[in-house]
Amino acid sequence: MLGYYVRLALRSFSRNPGISALMVLAIALGIAVCVMTLTVFHAMSGNPIWWKSDRLYAVTMDNWDPNNAADKKHPELPPPLMTYKDARYVAASRVPMRKVIMYTVDATISGAGTAPLRTPTRATTGDFFAMFDAPFLYGGGWSAAAEDPPPPSIVLSRETNEKLFGGINSVGRVLRWNDQEFRVVGVLDDWFPRPRFYDLNGGSFSPPEDAYVPFAWGPALSLQSSGNTECWKPETINNEQDFLASDCVWIETWVELPDAATHERMQTVLDNYWAEQHRAGRFPRPRNNRLTDVGQWLRDMQVVDNDNRVLVGLAFAFLAVCLINTVGLLLAKFLNAAAITGVRRALGASRRQIFTQHLVEVAILAVLGAALGCLLAALGLAAVHHMYSAAHLGHRGGYQELTHFDTVGVAWAIVLAVVATLAAGLYPAWRVGRTPPAVYLKSQ
Amino acid sequence: MNLHLRPILSALLRNRTGAVLVAMQVAIALAVLVNALYIVTQRIEKMGRPTGMDVENIFVVQSAGFTAHYDLKSSIQQDLAWLRSLPGVIAATPSNAIPLSGGGSSQGLTIVPGDRTRDNSFGYYELDEQGLDALGLHLVAGRNFRHEEIEPPITVDDAGRFVGNVILSRAAAKELFGDQNPLGKPVYDTLKHQATVIGIVDPAMNSWVDNEHSDWVFYMPRLTSSLYGGVRYIVRARPGERDAMIRLAEAHLSTSNPDRVIHFVRPMTYFKDLSYLSDRSMGIYLLTVTGLMIAVTCLGIFALATFNVATRTKQIGTRRAVGARRADVVQYFLVENGMITSAGILAGCALALATGYYLSLQYSLPRLNLYYLVGGVLVLWAVGQLAAWQPARRAAAVSPSVATRTV
Repeated sequence: MLGYYVRLALRSFSRNPGISALMVLAIALGIAVCVMTLTVFHAMSGNPIWWKSDRLYAVTMDNWDPNNAADKKHPELPPPLMTYKDARYVAASRVPMRKVIMYTVDATISGAGTAPLRTPTRATTGDFFAMFDAPFLYGGGWSAAAEDPPPPSIVLSRETNEKLFGGINSVGRVLRWNDQEFRVVGVLDDWFPRPRFYDLNGGSFSPPEDAYVPFAWGPALSLQSSGNTECWKPETINNEQDFLASDCVWIETWVELPDAATHERMQTVLDNYWAEQHRAGRFPRPRNNRLTDVGQWLRDMQVVDNDNRVLVGLAFAFLAVCLINTVGLLLAKFLNAAAITGVRRALGASRRQIFTQHLVEVAILAVLGAALGCLLAALGLAAVHHMYSAAHLGHRGGYQELTHFDTVGVAWAIVLAVVATLAAGLYPAWRVGRTPPAVYLKSQ
Repeated sequence: MNLHLRPILSALLRNRTGAVLVAMQVAIALAVLVNALYIVTQRIEKMGRPTGMDVENIFVVQSAGFTAHYDLKSSIQQDLAWLRSLPGVIAATPSNAIPLSGGGSSQGLTIVPGDRTRDNSFGYYELDEQGLDALGLHLVAGRNFRHEEIEPPITVDDAGRFVGNVILSRAAAKELFGDQNPLGKPVYDTLKHQATVIGIVDPAMNSWVDNEHSDWVFYMPRLTSSLYGGVRYIVRARPGERDAMIRLAEAHLSTSNPDRVIHFVRPMTYFKDLSYLSDRSMGIYLLTVTGLMIAVTCLGIFALATFNVATRTKQIGTRRAVGARRADVVQYFLVENGMITSAGILAGCALALATGYYLSLQYSLPRLNLYYLVGGVLVLWAVGQLAAWQPARRAAAVSPSVATRTV
């Protein structure tokens, strides 16, 4: 029967090819716009470490100004970064399974036989790689135990290793990082968590840094953060020690807590530390010590911005217009051919069969529309991608990385095609089945 | 003129599904058109704000020393001397940050030392005596920095040091001094160090285009330090010479000193474009989708009118046979379309206002300006009439004989 309905549908298309093409185009445009928007939205709202996102917690403590919150629009949130002192305290705790404190510095690598290379570097602690599941191509990280004093070890990104050593296994090679000798202990494989959840300052979709060194080398070489440093307290800072002791925040702090009990103990550790410091005159604001898991962290940091929500709303409004349009066209088309339906009814087709027959026709239109929509969406995303990369603009914010048409897009298109069939086809198919055959037979 | 509204309306009501569908499209299209245009205009206004700077002709060099031999002061002197010797260069200054780039430093200022009641933060730039010229800023009161006033760079050991003189943007001066004349008056940093206001520039912008107060800026007469990711040179080229100067600077500076690397030599437009990238893409996307939506709605109106004409051929023929003129037939369909569109517009107005209200509430966008609604109504009405025009003309071409032929 289905084959027969498909043949009937094709015959119906050939009767008014123009109007059929219009319907396919309308469905295709609606689906294309939705798929484009949803692809970007999906990439933005993704959780790049979902498999352990409920074990990883960002640590924040509100050390800010008694009169002003760190973020006036969200006074309930502590500053997203921590002071050196507080971060070191967390890093020394034995409660978490793993812990990381880190910041970024602008460094230069030389002495590798190539021209000096600007290398944005993450100064971080040894647990970083295991905690965030960063994949190694060669070698590994440095031991978390050997942190004080840290050996001058460096882990390179795959791209940096290619620039410096032509992509060979460079573990054991010595290079100069900010004019200090560092030994390569590992090379990462391709790794680009989107969004870069562990550091959302300076572009949520920025690529990871080009190299990693032990945290303590940053302060040891007096290297300032190339990310954000925020200070609220009027403090005289006359040297590096003053700065490290200040209430300025610049360090990202994460802990891995495998179960609820550890989580509770970690919270107690923070609260006790807070109470002790509060007695000593620090933390003038109400107690606000937070352990925030990755999902909540992405929401707190507003990775998906309002513009994107507006665009998703717009895309669906557009799809609605396209589908309403299709309903109108289908009605017109079906009722125009009501005489034929009348003959089929008179020859014994049931209302249900007429309904199914017309729904099959709509489904074919929707599938064609979805296929064309996928094509248009892929072209549209490629155009946006091109726009970003042609201007060399997207790389820093990582926008162009959000515009890959992939299986997610196809999946959305399939879902939307089903939605389109049901939304646009149900009423016209039902309506045409309801027309009494006699009326149309009579007028012939 | 008699538009025969009653019979057209009752005919419409007897066969309303198609009309309701078209009216729904018109309603959604109007709501989207009005709100999208409003958002786009805001973005265009935001991108078009005066920066006060000669953005088109400026380029920026970022240089970072990385060896123990690197001497910040002599390196700055050499680089500046070379840059200023280029015939295509008007002025050049070292700077701690690049305006409009999204990166930089800010700090609180007060006019009463230690006043903690106001929490304001001003973007600041360390410049030398060519600074204002290199940025193309206009001094509207007071004077520029003098060569002998330029202070040495801060170091790790005196990072909290302030300067003797500052130049404020007019907006910053207004925030601090209200309507008083700020020239010669003291301002204080958060550590209560004092500086004297010697000049006012207007307009001006700091590094953060999305900031509520992106025109709060002040300038300090100081050589920049290399504490924060190296030294930036802001160089203003003669009109038309920017790109040639960038090539020259890239070639010379990247080899002139082995103790440093040049991170980049880039036109200032790069940073401005990057800062406004999301606004621009949002604008383009909104306009494209809204345009498509209007087009689809147009097609819907056209298709409905065509369908109506096709199904009413006999009726039209009969009307013509009993004396209706072609113009009457055209008028019939245009009035019918006008009624449908108007119903849609009416619903669309409510939808547009509701959407605007929701957006203003949810995303703290400003409330919809009603002029946009009026404009949107006119546009959709005109579009509706245009879309119905061709089918109406086709209807008018139906000959009276059709009425007699098939019955």
